[in-house]
Amino acid sequence: MAIANESHQEEHNMQEHHGAGRYVVIWVVLLVLTLVTVFTGRMHLPDFGLLLALVIASVKGTLVALYFMHLSEHRGANRLVFGVSIVFVVLLIGFTLMDFGTRFRLANPPGSQYSDLQAVDIGANKAEGRQGGHLDEKQKKETHE
Amino acid sequence: MSSAHVTPGSVPGPKLAAHFASLEVQKHAARLGMWLFLATEILLFAGLFACYAAYRFLFPEAWAACSRELDLTMGTINTVVLITSSFTAAMAVHYAKEGKNKMVGHMFVLTLLMAVAFLVIKYFEYKHKFHIGTLPGRYYFYEGIQLPGAPLYFTVYFASTALHGLHVIIGMTVLMFSTVRAYRVGDFSANNYTMVELGSMYWHLVDLVWIFLFPMLYLV
Amino acid sequence: MTPSSSIAAPGAVPGHEATDDHGHHPSYLTDGTTVKSWLLTVDHKRIGIMYMAWVLLFFLVGGIFALLIRIELLTPGPTIMDAMTYNRVFTLHGIVMIFLFMIPAIPSIFGNFMLPLMLGAKDVAFPRLNLLSLYVYLAGAGFALWGMLNGGLDTGWTFYTPYSAHTTTSVAPVLFGAFIIGFSSILTGMNFIVTTHTMRAPGITWFKMPLMVWALYATSCIQVLATPVIGLLLLLVTAENLFSLGMFDVARGGDPVLFQHLFWFYSHPAVYIMVLPAFGVMSEIVATFSRKNIFGYRAVAYSSVGIAFVGFFAWGHHMFVSGQSTFNAGVFGVLSMLVGVFTAIKVFNWVGTVYKGAVEFSTPFAYFCGFLFFTVFGGMTGIAVATVSLDVPWHDTYFVVAHFHFIMVGATIMAFLAALHYWFPKMFGKTYHEGWGLVSAALIILGFNATFIPQFLVGNAGMPRRYYEYPERFQALNVASTAGASLLAFGFIIIAIYLTYALIYGERADNPWNSKGYEWLTASPPPTHNFIGPQPTYPEEPHFYVDPNTGKGEVSDV
Repeated sequence: MAIANESHQEEHNMQEHHGAGRYVVIWVVLLVLTLVTVFTGRMHLPDFGLLLALVIASVKGTLVALYFMHLSEHRGANRLVFGVSIVFVVLLIGFTLMDFGTRFRLANPPGSQYSDLQAVDIGANKAEGRQGGHLDEKQKKETHE
Repeated sequence: MSSAHVTPGSVPGPKLAAHFASLEVQKHAARLGMWLFLATEILLFAGLFACYAAYRFLFPEAWAACSRELDLTMGTINTVVLITSSFTAAMAVHYAKEGKNKMVGHMFVLTLLMAVAFLVIKYFEYKHKFHIGTLPGRYYFYEGIQLPGAPLYFTVYFASTALHGLHVIIGMTVLMFSTVRAYRVGDFSANNYTMVELGSMYWHLVDLVWIFLFPMLYLV
Repeated sequence: MTPSSSIAAPGAVPGHEATDDHGHHPSYLTDGTTVKSWLLTVDHKRIGIMYMAWVLLFFLVGGIFALLIRIELLTPGPTIMDAMTYNRVFTLHGIVMIFLFMIPAIPSIFGNFMLPLMLGAKDVAFPRLNLLSLYVYLAGAGFALWGMLNGGLDTGWTFYTPYSAHTTTSVAPVLFGAFIIGFSSILTGMNFIVTTHTMRAPGITWFKMPLMVWALYATSCIQVLATPVIGLLLLLVTAENLFSLGMFDVARGGDPVLFQHLFWFYSHPAVYIMVLPAFGVMSEIVATFSRKNIFGYRAVAYSSVGIAFVGFFAWGHHMFVSGQSTFNAGVFGVLSMLVGVFTAIKVFNWVGTVYKGAVEFSTPFAYFCGFLFFTVFGGMTGIAVATVSLDVPWHDTYFVVAHFHFIMVGATIMAFLAALHYWFPKMFGKTYHEGWGLVSAALIILGFNATFIPQFLVGNAGMPRRYYEYPERFQALNVASTAGASLLAFGFIIIAIYLTYALIYGERADNPWNSKGYEWLTASPPPTHNFIGPQPTYPEEPHFYVDPNTGKGEVSDV
């Protein structure tokens, strides 16, 4: 074969063909996981609620990538590309959060749980509320009363 | 992407562009190109996820309060709709490999209908927010939540759902080309399904992003 | 199965004999001479040439801005412009040079032209996307230019919030322009990665690829992974500027430092988008002009990928004094130094290649010497500014300005000019005047040092960057810097003159360097489909020269 071997390998990998049943199963599993995450989400678990939700989402995402997007059959570069992009997402979020978590408290935005500063009152004119909201309506009501 | 090299009416297989050594290479290139493109999409949303993570970290109370302000029923229905549309898109590829062009078209029409449904539901959610004033930044005027960081939550909410919505629209456009081709030309087969496959991959990405956005926005 | 074997060899059309008669087969330059045949071409070579025309134009624009800055700084007070104009001028200098010149310079011109030739392919994998990337680049440049004519902007090229969200200058069109240019960069990157994976000719395995290809591959990975993040960020800031959504607004709980995180997640690796292709060019040139196989091929190849990877772990060193946590600053400081390790691997291997080589001291090699100096000197000062305790006093002084001009601009400009001279015969089939080449190389290297070494000194003495006025005691060094800049400009003018002359009246040349690089295996200038007749055979190594010590074709490799 007088071409780059990768393409040949790829063609070989892609020749598998599955029955439709496989897609139905994945679809059902995805729906079930959606219901599970809604259920656990409504329990408002105090500490690990978001973590659990993200774990379930990751499982769902993995299923979509592996079976709907056929990553389970792809080899080589395709997998690498997807894997690397996920790694870099984690890298971006990880280093950024590491910064927020280890900061000098006064350097965090005022009003946040990691800052000792009160939220800024930008109501120099009363049209804008404490947290930057428009208090037009509220103000109108107040003047009515 | 690959569609650029495929000329309509070139039965039985796709046309080989002059610079490729073989069809194998051409298909491989198209698929790898699509994966790279999807990687850029993932990184695009990663920027928003980073904003989300940072502000969720700083304002957990506002985040919890605001996410409960969203309509969970509508969000759940939208998730189910999008997952199902992803399923039909996967089935379209399945039928394309078997050469059942009519079924490819049907599957994509179903996908497109669900995409429209998704956007309609999203529209009602947006409309409600404009009504009660849970809006980004300086447009926020909702009295129910006056926690620091609340307007920021809706900045993130609107930025990410709007960007996702834009991707839904782009995805619909891409799928429409395949749908028309499946009905009009009908030349998808085991040898020639790259166009369907890549369009469907893009649609799965739209679904993938929503799978993460849904718990992040509605369930914290 | 597809009948791939019969069409595998590029250009192996039956009945066409290999011929050295270039008149017989039209070169890519003469194959169609209408304007349309250029504007709508999908030929990677023509696209490369078109990129060259535009990129050089923007280099001229950015260079004029640079000269304006230097003239303004001749005297401590106002010289030729007011303070607001000065803010706009240095902002535009940064934006034009980075987004419109440095990022596309080597990959889009020489990468586009050489990559398929080096891989023995007829074109890049997606020729139409390649053309699209050119027009997307021009569209983005148009937006940016419109913003500049519409009053310009004064944020500095970094667009830091909150200022960029509040300034009334035309930030939005320029941000949007930069966003569009990002697409062009992504398209080029995707194209190169796919081309490298799928278009290699038989015989070219991963470790027989020329080192330029490795460098372009690593660059493309950065382009694909980092550019989307800044794309999103630029959109957010545009929205912030137009509608005040409050994403990075402290008053609404937002954090401007988060902006900086996202910004440098792209913009630090972007430095390697500029400099990695320069490393690739130099790896080609050092082997060619030392008449010796590259020393440590694998080490140089891997270190390109290594730099691309660790380049992503270093972004926080731009934020040491921005309110980032000290813990993060320390971590980023240490991780930044890893880049130095990989760069040093390359430097040692280049020096090892020159060692005992039969050096032919021509213009590209002169630029290599300048490049080596700038890389080492700029790199060492980079290690210094990556040290948190040292960077705190140096931050935002001219020391940092001089540092990044040395490593990022110095190294890249040297490589750009070296590539221009080295591949000039390849691209146009003509040679330039060697004497003028050496004279201008000397002028430019000298001018560059004269411009930026005073800036190291004045920065170390405490002069902050971006300031319009300065105390009188800094004037001597500033005058020296401006003198250097004019020397530099003079050098570029000479190059422009003799290369234009060579383009028209230059002597016919095919491979004046006797280079063994894969791209020289076809005619110069190459025919439209790159190869005529039977496919060239590829020697065992991409830089295969006779070892001058033994007189045999030995591989002086690891």
